Amino acid sequence: MTLYLTLLRLFILRGLAREKTRASITVLGISLGVAVIVAIRLANRSALESFRTATESVAGKTSLEIVGTTGRFDELLLRDLLWLRDYGHISPIVDGFGLFPSDPADRESGQFLQILGVDMLRDRPIRDYRLLRLTDKGERATGREFVRLLSDPDAIILTERFAKRHGLSVGDKMALIIDDRELRFSIRGLLVDEGPARALDGHLALMDIGAAQKAFQRFGRLDRLDLRLRAGTTLDEAAKRLATRLPAALKVREPSERSRQVETMISSFHFNLTALGSLALLVGLFLIYNTAMFSVVRRRREIGRLRAVGTQRKIVFALFVGEALLLGIPGILIGLFLGRVMATAAVNATASTVATFYIAEVALRSASDFSLGAVEVLLGFGVALPLTLAAAFLPAWEATRIRPAETSRGLDGLAGRGRRHRKKLVLSLGLSFLVYALSTLDPVGDLPVFGYVAVLCLVFAAALLVPVALSTACRVGERILRHVRGLQVESLLASTNLGAATPRVSISVAALAVSLAMTVAIAIMVGSFRRTVIDWLGQTMKADIYVRPVTLTSTLPAGTISREAIETIGEDPDVVDVDTLIRRDFEYDGRRITLGARSFEVLVRYGILHFKSPSGPRQHVLESAKNDRVLVSESFSLRFKKRPGDLVEISTLTGRKSFEIAAVFYDYSNNRGVVLVDHTTYRRYFAADGEREKPTDLAVFLKPDRDATEVKERLIRATSGKHRLLFRTNAGVFEGSLRIFDSTFAITYALQVIAVTVAALGVISTLITLLLERRRETAVLRFLGATVGQLRKVVVLEALLIGVVSQGLGIVVGCLLAVILIFVINVQSFGWTIQFHLPVSYLFQSTFLTLLATAVAGFYPAARAASVQAVQFVSEE
Amino acid sequence: MAGNQPILLVEDVEKVYSSGSSSVAALRGVGFRLEPGDFVALMGPSGCGKTTLLHLAGAMDRPTAGRLVLDGDDLGTLGEEELARLRRRKIGFVFQFFNLLPTLTVRENVALPLLLENLPKKECLERAMELLARVGLDRRTAHYPSELSGGEMQRAAVARAVVGKPRLVLADEPTGSLDSDNGTRVLELLKELNRELDITLVVATHSEEVAGYASRRIVLRDGRVEKTVGAES
Repeated sequence: MTLYLTLLRLFILRGLAREKTRASITVLGISLGVAVIVAIRLANRSALESFRTATESVAGKTSLEIVGTTGRFDELLLRDLLWLRDYGHISPIVDGFGLFPSDPADRESGQFLQILGVDMLRDRPIRDYRLLRLTDKGERATGREFVRLLSDPDAIILTERFAKRHGLSVGDKMALIIDDRELRFSIRGLLVDEGPARALDGHLALMDIGAAQKAFQRFGRLDRLDLRLRAGTTLDEAAKRLATRLPAALKVREPSERSRQVETMISSFHFNLTALGSLALLVGLFLIYNTAMFSVVRRRREIGRLRAVGTQRKIVFALFVGEALLLGIPGILIGLFLGRVMATAAVNATASTVATFYIAEVALRSASDFSLGAVEVLLGFGVALPLTLAAAFLPAWEATRIRPAETSRGLDGLAGRGRRHRKKLVLSLGLSFLVYALSTLDPVGDLPVFGYVAVLCLVFAAALLVPVALSTACRVGERILRHVRGLQVESLLASTNLGAATPRVSISVAALAVSLAMTVAIAIMVGSFRRTVIDWLGQTMKADIYVRPVTLTSTLPAGTISREAIETIGEDPDVVDVDTLIRRDFEYDGRRITLGARSFEVLVRYGILHFKSPSGPRQHVLESAKNDRVLVSESFSLRFKKRPGDLVEISTLTGRKSFEIAAVFYDYSNNRGVVLVDHTTYRRYFAADGEREKPTDLAVFLKPDRDATEVKERLIRATSGKHRLLFRTNAGVFEGSLRIFDSTFAITYALQVIAVTVAALGVISTLITLLLERRRETAVLRFLGATVGQLRKVVVLEALLIGVVSQGLGIVVGCLLAVILIFVINVQSFGWTIQFHLPVSYLFQSTFLTLLATAVAGFYPAARAASVQAVQFVSEE
Repeated sequence: MAGNQPILLVEDVEKVYSSGSSSVAALRGVGFRLEPGDFVALMGPSGCGKTTLLHLAGAMDRPTAGRLVLDGDDLGTLGEEELARLRRRKIGFVFQFFNLLPTLTVRENVALPLLLENLPKKECLERAMELLARVGLDRRTAHYPSELSGGEMQRAAVARAVVGKPRLVLADEPTGSLDSDNGTRVLELLKELNRELDITLVVATHSEEVAGYASRRIVLRDGRVEKTVGAES
């Protein structure tokens, strides 16, 4: 052991110290890979934990929740539920969101607050509120004071944290936008910063239940009943008994069910990110292989001498494995640290991408505790360390094969190698069949596991093709380039050098090719997706102006628009039609979907939806409205395996009912699945408020040739006194949609840039290794009269040939990967059909840039080649 | 006066190798001249400066002091690119370990100096074939160096050294890695080419037997010319 450590210090550590840049690049490569994986895991864990904590602390001691099967329910139902008291304490709840306009200049955004309307006396046993006394901030209010506070219909209680952040204090008046109306409240107390007040980063407010019903205009309606079971009653048993006794309009669930739904949504998104991140790690490992191989090649003579003085093979092997660990372990440690930093970016990406409900977004954004746990450390080491060892195995094994008498081998014996490609071709073909087979398998849960295994197999199939591609490129390249004046001998030398070094270079070329393939694939996927969305927007966005309340965001379908506002808009002389749309969260088959209602007649008249099947369903859709048939989005159809003609059984106000699917339509704005019904059907089965049910969105159609911007300004003026609405013209929505779309994919590109950079570093390091191996040949060329310029050209041509092969394979494999991404992974993850579109100009551009980059990457090794001390290497024989 | 111009003129050449604070003088004022068609053996014990002198004469290195003139060109006045061109056109090298490029065929190896000169590939390969026939390797032209014997490799290396019709061929222990039969064959070949092509030949060697082929011997010791044996032509 002492001998080993001494040799490691003298032999390996000193070498690493000499090659600081190369060692740093390798460490950086590994750390980036580890960082991406750890960051995503941290973001995932932290967000979910934060969301779970938020849900739990807001739920307090609630054991079970009783909710309406179709949403809110009539509080009169409570009269028939007196028996619930036998099970424990119950507390009726009104739950909603309000927007606090934190910046008066910005009418369109603000800070969301979750507002709980509670009956304080009934709620106290369930939630543990501590209220700051108004007069003396050190003491806490009594229950009686609490109740008195809330007797005022304008009273609101904020959290200490939220109030402090926005400079609010007890006694102040504050504005809150609820739906499309701005209301004013008096702050009557602050919740001490603990328990539920801490959840959601303090974005919680309390109101009296009656005041909340008034504010939200939900008179006589409740969102849920929270139930705290008596001691001695088991949860499962109670849940079972309640389920049998509750009326059809109500159902029982555990509070944690909500966090489970969010978990499913986020984990699917993070699974995709992790899969992409793993690629960066894979490329980092190619770097380890390169560095280890470089180290062995550089030290052939020293290894020979070590062997000559009796050093055993196993010690030589252990030395080079030790070197890989010396690079791998710091890489992993730095990666863990970097991962913490990158977690914030991953959280932001997730928050803006995952279309889920608002509470999840708040939880995600407030998830700042990115402390590394044992799991992350184990993950970093558990994934990267075995791979590091695997990457070092071949070079270390090669080191053991160096004979004691060996001093320099150069490229001797390499010529003629790399010709036995048949086995690799057969294996590659076999893997390709496997790729096809895997692509036809169903997802595991909602995760496209087999799709990603197919991607991995395709990557290996491509890597196996690299040697034959390189040999072919060298032969063809030489035949073409020898006709170029001034490149005759250079092309001969470059192609024969590279051809002979195929076994050495293949791994680096494969790394670069795979990175480029992923970039091409993602570019094709994003490009195709973008094109599909543009087409879809063009086909479905037929209205001139779109309206929604400021409180309604893509992540919070909570705001509604007043009838009064709709009337004002409809009275405008240039408006011919106002189409109303109701969107709400709904549960189907235990999963969260969107239930939508709009006029099928308007849909058909303006051709708003783009149908997937059946084709040409206009009349069919019109008839559906009369027959209570439903339309479903493509993602719903794929997630739940439903086709036109199938039945969808959902909860209605009158119990469970089956609806026939009339048609499937494309919808790229929602990946949870949409069931769309006509307004008449909605009112009959789902609208608890009957005719009073308010829409969430409006589509406004204007007379021909009217200026939408002008009308929009007029509508804003007409409604702004009483309502807080957002108006967007058709073009505005179009641009906004594409902006969100592009920002969503930014992180994907960032990951690709990392992978390509790491791979390019790999090419530089491979070329340097090759040059070290053939220093003697370079010296001979100098003796024979080769100029420095000629030597440089040889190396740059080699780099260029590597670029050509990598990019060529990258494009072919990238297209195949795109097919899997688009037709397998995307469909299984999101349930969307994307039309395949080849971004030709991008491919040309990327080819040009890759070739330029590889040629430039060749300059540094070329400079090193030119500086070879010819006299020294020929004399060293 | 062209008839009187030496192929190589070496005047008071010194070469000092420095490394940090220490320095070693490899050559200390060496001088001689070589005429066209000379066959000179450079002799002396290990470390006497033979290889250093060959590298200086081959325009691969620059002297610390003194002057080298090759076929009228003062090497000290030429830049790196000009020196490379001069090596291509006027100098051929033969090494102890052959130094054929393993990735090129024998024919391509021999044609290499002409290819580096950017001459048409066909012409280069034809000239290489002629020389390979001359050295008895016409059946091995498409082979790789690793497929040849030591003697064959050295004959190919000799063909490479003379393919560009150089004025001067420098051979460093050309038979050092060969058995005596192959060694003799290579020396015979060098001698014939020296005679037929009127190439000036300098062979650095320890071996008396090898030196026996030369018309003149320059013996070096401790970086100086100890003696010159044989008449200057």
